[in-house]
Amino acid sequence: MDTMRIQVTRTGGLAGRTRQAELDTAERTDAPHVHALAREAVVGGLRAPSYGVPDGFHYAITVDGRTVHCADPKLTDSQRELVSLVLREGA
Amino acid sequence: MTPLPPRCSIVPPYVLDRLAEQGHTAAVRSLALDATHREARLVAPVPAPGTDRPRRVVRDARHTERLPGRTVRPEGAPPVADPCVNQAYDGLGATYALFSDVYGRPSIDGAGMRLDATVHYGEHYDNAFWDGQRMVFGDGDGVVFGDFTACVDVIGHELSHGVTQFTAGLAYHDQSGALNESLSDVFGSLVKQYALRQSADEADWLIGSGLLAPGVQGVALRSMKAPGTAYDDPRLGKDPQPAHLRDYVGTTQDQGGVHINSGIPNHAFYLLATALGGPAWERAGRIWYDTLTTHRLTPDAGFTAFARATVAAAAARYQDEAVANTVTAAWAKVGISVG
Repeated sequence: MDTMRIQVTRTGGLAGRTRQAELDTAERTDAPHVHALAREAVVGGLRAPSYGVPDGFHYAITVDGRTVHCADPKLTDSQRELVSLVLREGA
Repeated sequence: MTPLPPRCSIVPPYVLDRLAEQGHTAAVRSLALDATHREARLVAPVPAPGTDRPRRVVRDARHTERLPGRTVRPEGAPPVADPCVNQAYDGLGATYALFSDVYGRPSIDGAGMRLDATVHYGEHYDNAFWDGQRMVFGDGDGVVFGDFTACVDVIGHELSHGVTQFTAGLAYHDQSGALNESLSDVFGSLVKQYALRQSADEADWLIGSGLLAPGVQGVALRSMKAPGTAYDDPRLGKDPQPAHLRDYVGTTQDQGGVHINSGIPNHAFYLLATALGGPAWERAGRIWYDTLTTHRLTPDAGFTAFARATVAAAAARYQDEAVANTVTAAWAKVGISVG
């Protein structure tokens, strides 16, 4: 079965702090859902970082080596769900 | 290659982005126009009759990331059961008071703009931000950060981004971005100092004191008095702020370290305010406010240009040469020469 390696780097924010996490879908029972989320998140992302808003978080999402960018508060629903999943459950 | 129309919002930004990357000039122009339109929308002043009272509206996102949320406390309504709502409402009022009472500025746009805030944004959301029109507060994850409405200086910080947006419009990256951040820390701290009627010597000069969750080793997010000393914690890391230009942090993250290198101008302001003595919002704050609002800065101003503008603002406002000289000396102590 397919697996995906998803990395999320969150920068900026009021605290200016960087957080990074990685999720491998190999052992996950919800892998098909996560794969769909990741594909949608990449399609809705930018190839380069945008300016975003003051104190807003910036996210770099890397799926199997391909990186896209997005910034609060203009995340798509898939991007929101994906970044919170990876930052919460990733290592 | 087929030329794209100059403004084509139907084309997804990531496609424009890719085209722009490949040197497609129309795509570059279109992206730039998008940014211009967005900015034009944001800076259009809200016409309102001269007023010296705030018009506040606090809304509740109810733990979603959908803005603006449901109205829970409009201007003049009594306190509600939710303390976050009341803290946001009071913090908006304290910020309004500083700008209106001290600097004669009715609201953040100078024209009575309504002050909008949304609380309970997202789930365990670890941030507060200014989205160009409103301030947005998360509840914090409870592990590293607590509730973001808890600190009046954080509320002042966010709204001051609005003041900068409506005035100097400092670009939010690299040195101009660090100045934008620093101005928010300066006026955020002054909101708190004015509310508590503290002199420069009495103030804590901290940003986000009380924001760190219990058990985190630290006192706040940032210290203007001693940048780099606000926290040192296994989960949070160490406060990375420099206090002197020689320690300027070159990085591509955080828009070029806007929340990091703000430590340098923050410390210059602290040095000036304590050297002048008395309430910091009076002379030091007035000089910074004049610098921000009297067309002395270009959006790409760096530290040296800003420092020079503060000295000019001091000389224009105060006949006593000692004031401008104290400003020059404060910048020299953080490694920035005005001469």
